[in-house]
Amino acid sequence: MRPDIDSIEARAIDWLIRQRDPAFDDWDGFADWLGEDTGHAAIYDAIASLDQDLDALPPAAKPMAVTMPTTPRRISRRGWFGGAMAAALVAVIGLSTLNPFGNANRIETAAGEHRTIELADGSRIEINGGSILEIDKDRPRFARLEAGEAMFHVVHRDDDPFVVEAGGDRLVDLGTAFNVVRRERQTSVAVSEGIVLYNPDRDKVRLVAGKAIEARDDDSKPPVVQDIDVASVGGWRSGLLVYNDVPLAVVADDLKRTAGMDVQVTPAAAALSFRGALIIDKNRTRTISDLAALSGTKAQRQGDGWILTR
Amino acid sequence: MTMSQDRSGAAQGIEGVLLANRDRIVRFLQVRGAGDAAEDLFQDLWMRLTDRPVGPVADPLPYVMRAANNLMLDRYRSTRQSALRDQAWGEAAAGHEPSAETALISREQLLLVEAAITGSGERPARIFRRFRVDGLNQRDIASEMGVSLSTVEADLRKVYAALAALRRQFDAS
Repeated sequence: MRPDIDSIEARAIDWLIRQRDPAFDDWDGFADWLGEDTGHAAIYDAIASLDQDLDALPPAAKPMAVTMPTTPRRISRRGWFGGAMAAALVAVIGLSTLNPFGNANRIETAAGEHRTIELADGSRIEINGGSILEIDKDRPRFARLEAGEAMFHVVHRDDDPFVVEAGGDRLVDLGTAFNVVRRERQTSVAVSEGIVLYNPDRDKVRLVAGKAIEARDDDSKPPVVQDIDVASVGGWRSGLLVYNDVPLAVVADDLKRTAGMDVQVTPAAAALSFRGALIIDKNRTRTISDLAALSGTKAQRQGDGWILTR
Repeated sequence: MTMSQDRSGAAQGIEGVLLANRDRIVRFLQVRGAGDAAEDLFQDLWMRLTDRPVGPVADPLPYVMRAANNLMLDRYRSTRQSALRDQAWGEAAAGHEPSAETALISREQLLLVEAAITGSGERPARIFRRFRVDGLNQRDIASEMGVSLSTVEADLRKVYAALAALRRQFDAS
């Protein structure tokens, strides 16, 4: 869209990355680049200023199922004033929606709004838009997805498994990152790391990384385990939705939640099966025309949204 | 060369570097966005560097150039901060002397930043956090993650580009 700005920005980013090395000494080269165009300094300032604000980022969550060498000591280049602030920030996120009359913490996101919460144990929950999630300060290893979608990154403890409830379903982690969708009377689970037990008291379905299920509330039999692409699990977080034969109505539902897009599907088109990868472009019209083209439907504007017809 | 530990010795060392490289530093300040004010800013830089105790500096010129770069960044941030002060999320800045250490982004925006980092993919996000939060250098990250240096570099670029795009959205909103 803006090749010039973008390539200048890419250069500015390169300089910034290099300058974060304390041994950087090519200041003359940097000056030459700045001198090429009077606009370069402002673009660099914008990036460098953002970078400085990243001091407030909390330290990385502890590694989960992935094996990593023991953490080397943190090298503090500046006073690391961010440390205390980051700790305070995590606390604020955890408690900001705390109900003053109880310990249950209900988090509701608007369509298109994404939120990440950090739990005290280092677990992280990324909540998609249009979702309701409950956590409880008194039950730190528990979360309930009432509606919508969330990606869980759970710090595993052998003696204290993390439990996620979705509808009447219980998911028990065995060291894990997994995505859960709670739609109308249906729970979908996809695992990208580790193992999840689905309804250990009833169905006892074991899901390893790369496996997924779709379970309806009135199913009488345990759900069938399907293969999925690990890379696409929780794809909503990066604006990439990958489908393998799902009804178009489900895609519309996802677009509403993930991007706040209002997409209606006529009854004749709703049952059409969709397969493909959909990128949520900043230009939403493009996303819709992609969807129409890939699903063999026609898209028309309708109010603030779109309608798909056969 | 022996480095003097005493304050005046170090300050003299810096003064010497400032004097010897005056033209170079002024030129840098000019292109760095100071324009005609470069001479004045050179004086500011002088004050900044000679005003407070400085420990021995192994390589004084890069140290001075970095300080000049930071001076310009601080000016940019102070200007931004004044502009943002009236807005709701500038509240962190209200009542404080404009300072480079005051965050210019809100908590909500920081959450979006985190989401964007995570959203850039498992490996890029981890590499970025090791680099920017834990302060590891690229080479150490490469060996820790078992990937090439160019992969680390590419991932860092990718995450920074995503953050830059996000920042444009903050500005637009």
